[in-house]
Amino acid sequence: MDRRTFIKLTAITGTSATLASCGNPENTLVRFVPEEELVPGIAEWKPGVCPMCASGCGLSVRVMEADVETTKNGQQGLVRMGVAKKLEGNSAHPVNEGGLCARGQAAIQITYHPDRITQPLKRSGTRGDGAFAMISWDQAIAELVSKLDALEGAGNQKQVAFITGGHRSHRQVLIDAWLAKFGASPAVSFELFGNDVLRQANAVSFGQAQLPTFDLKNARYVISFGADFLGTWNSPVSQSMGYGHMRAGRPGMRGSFVQVESRMTTTGASADQWVPVKPGTAGVLALGIAHAILEHKLKPATNGRAGAQIAGWSAGLPDYSPEKVEQITGVKHERVERLARELAEQSPAVAMVGGVELAHTNALFTALAVNALNELLGAVGQPGGLHFTPQIPMAGPTTGPKQTLDKFAAAVGGGSQPIGVLFVDDANPVFAAPKAWKVREAIERAPYIVSFASFLDETSVLADLILPDHSFLESWSDALPESGSMVAVASVAAPPMKPLFQTRATPDVLIDVSKKLKKPLELPWATYDAMLKATFDGIGADAWATAQKQGGWWGEVPTSKAAAAKAPAAAGSAAGVKAASTQPVAYAEATFAGDAAQYPFHFLPYPSIQFYDGSAAHLPWLQELPDPMTSAMWSSWVELNPQTAAKMNVAQGDIVEIASPIGAVRSPAFINPAIAPDIVAMPVGQGHTTYTRYASGRGQNPVEIVAPVAEPTTGALAWAATRVKLTRVGDPDGKLVLFSAGGELREKPFELEKR
Amino acid sequence: MIACGLVGGCGLLDDRSEPVQPAAFTAEAQAHSPIFTTAHSTVGASVNDFLMVRPKAVQPIEFPHNIHIEKGLTCLEYCHESVTKGPQAGLPSVNTCMICHAAIATDKPRIQQITAMSDKGIDLAWQRVYGFPAESHVKFNHAPHIRANVECSTCHGDIAHQTVAQRNVNINMGTCVTCHRQKNAPNDCLTCHY
Repeated sequence: MDRRTFIKLTAITGTSATLASCGNPENTLVRFVPEEELVPGIAEWKPGVCPMCASGCGLSVRVMEADVETTKNGQQGLVRMGVAKKLEGNSAHPVNEGGLCARGQAAIQITYHPDRITQPLKRSGTRGDGAFAMISWDQAIAELVSKLDALEGAGNQKQVAFITGGHRSHRQVLIDAWLAKFGASPAVSFELFGNDVLRQANAVSFGQAQLPTFDLKNARYVISFGADFLGTWNSPVSQSMGYGHMRAGRPGMRGSFVQVESRMTTTGASADQWVPVKPGTAGVLALGIAHAILEHKLKPATNGRAGAQIAGWSAGLPDYSPEKVEQITGVKHERVERLARELAEQSPAVAMVGGVELAHTNALFTALAVNALNELLGAVGQPGGLHFTPQIPMAGPTTGPKQTLDKFAAAVGGGSQPIGVLFVDDANPVFAAPKAWKVREAIERAPYIVSFASFLDETSVLADLILPDHSFLESWSDALPESGSMVAVASVAAPPMKPLFQTRATPDVLIDVSKKLKKPLELPWATYDAMLKATFDGIGADAWATAQKQGGWWGEVPTSKAAAAKAPAAAGSAAGVKAASTQPVAYAEATFAGDAAQYPFHFLPYPSIQFYDGSAAHLPWLQELPDPMTSAMWSSWVELNPQTAAKMNVAQGDIVEIASPIGAVRSPAFINPAIAPDIVAMPVGQGHTTYTRYASGRGQNPVEIVAPVAEPTTGALAWAATRVKLTRVGDPDGKLVLFSAGGELREKPFELEKR
Repeated sequence: MIACGLVGGCGLLDDRSEPVQPAAFTAEAQAHSPIFTTAHSTVGASVNDFLMVRPKAVQPIEFPHNIHIEKGLTCLEYCHESVTKGPQAGLPSVNTCMICHAAIATDKPRIQQITAMSDKGIDLAWQRVYGFPAESHVKFNHAPHIRANVECSTCHGDIAHQTVAQRNVNINMGTCVTCHRQKNAPNDCLTCHY
């Protein structure tokens, strides 16, 4: 026994002696009579809907008994009830087929988070200092109703505004209907990594303003232009399922996969060939491939709608010869030819586009170019190709008028849109929107802010009234997947468990408020579940019963009903879809904010696989999940090519400052060989100032320095169109936590030590 | 951690005491929450868990098992009915008591006590007498033992002549293995250790 063990043992023995001598601690909490009949130790699996992104995956929720602390009639005590203990994918659901990603697995921590808001709060300090008083629901709703009545009485209904996350769901339909009946301004929706450009391109190329679904299971060759489809883009679980089958599910046939991007994502790491291109030139590569296919007559020439959008298509794309493509994109012309041959020979082949390649000012051209390539490859609507998930008609219109966040912030901040009451639901624009939009300043002009948040974040901390929503496991949940399934699908689930706290379902609060107003709004639905029932009753006689049992409804939509749902403008498409352009497009160089001489690097703030846009940073399981490419956890980092790092004299973990024309952030450097030398990348998600004990004050937020550059047609934020400069400012500060160092896996993560 | 346990002394032992409420709901207070981890609310609770220090069971009322069995009730009907369905026998709620005691023996002080609790919606906080801590890595499922006609008294002793249940059979791995051998039940490690 060495000295160290001896001291440890002494300490343990001493402690146990002390503790054991303390007598019998009595259970001080009373126990309430349970409301449910439960067999202890036997689990029940109930359906659920994953809330973590717009994919709308089906969940299987394991519900078992547990003792829950609660308050009844002012007395604190314990009650035994059935609670959710584990989330898995619903194996019958057509989107995820039993799969569930890390973010979905971690979603259970939302319900049991120690920093959840447990009852209505009213601001008690100055705005933003985070001091709130707990109030009752009656008091909270009365206060909100009086504010709304005052606006209505003065004829200022337009001064009510509503910021939402913009997911396609009945919740959004209800919010739109509520605002329309009240006479308020249209809802403002904001998604940092939105897909409006692709929806617009699909509307132009294929007449469907919708995200595509890929039949990867039957594909033999896949080329993806920037789409991180196994990690963060579109419907990752559905795509991972299809990808797995394509690569290893068919004996004797392994599909090929090529990824085109300038920083390697987890998707890129799975590819057979990884093709880096210069930022904003992926569309040129797609047309270069199309040129080679047409030139060598590898596929019959097409004269379809998607091709007609591209200038010079019918002439065989003379402007996109492989040599020219090499000049523009940096991809060798031999490689362009080879890719063209492989794509043409290994049918069915399909091309994807998304993510960073659609975050440039010429994104619409890129998307249209890839759409045309798909048409040439014969991939549209064919097995192993590109499809559109049929849509189910909803209980209300989905094509409500929308405002974009940047225009809203400018109008409110400039004083042209006066504001009285601002609602915020399922969005944290103060964190996720570029600083240059001045969203915080605009929001603060609202004299009364109402938030439905479950946690204090950068936006809800500004609120005057917080009406906490149930967690998704305590309320009716639904999603209408826009993509990811070959058949029409609507996910829905009854609450798998009873609420733990004094929270209320936001849709029901809105309906309640609408009834209590001096001039009631007369919404067509009495409760939220009645609204959901109305949609499912519209599909078929037993659809509602089936949906509740299996966690959603899926199948063929009756043809009479399908017409009504044709070409929906997704709720997430803030700008809406513009009329199809008649002018064929040609390549125009992407423009970037910042002078190339002063700001030599391209800045790439990419969606993190753990936190996506930062909305999941409060979940400790995701914080401790090592990033698959860097193994970093609990921290922020800046990715640099080894050449760049050597030139700038930066070593692993050194603090670097990244400055754009908008501002600067400082973060530890991570040397990554799988990134182009002229690119500096940073994951989005950390850098919260207020977002529970796990995320507050951790890392840096790269969105702060993103320039407010937009794709011109849709107005969508071009989040990869900022240039930056890089300076080494200091030695490692010990805050970058890596799970492995130099390729060596360790039992415990280590921190880069201060030098 | 251990040092904290020593300093904190007895107060830390009680992990069920009311959590310290912050004076007001603030972001600041959240960042410095007194909750230690989500699994253990205090440092003391985690030390106890680590050292497997568990308090002795103290029951809310002196429940006379002997009288109930004399009157012809069996263990399995009404009170421990989950025993045939799942791993745990289950402890009855006050509602179960009131099925009979709404009418029977209503003049006894203990019955009046539980009637008053039932009226207020407060349950009896029974404490488990048998059981293993999670760290012992063993699982026991009642239902198959009942199906195999193992008497309750084999493991729980002579409850029929006891008032409050006591732990009168010391169950360890030897007890389990001996019985499994006698009855030709599976003796594979994974039968219990999974």
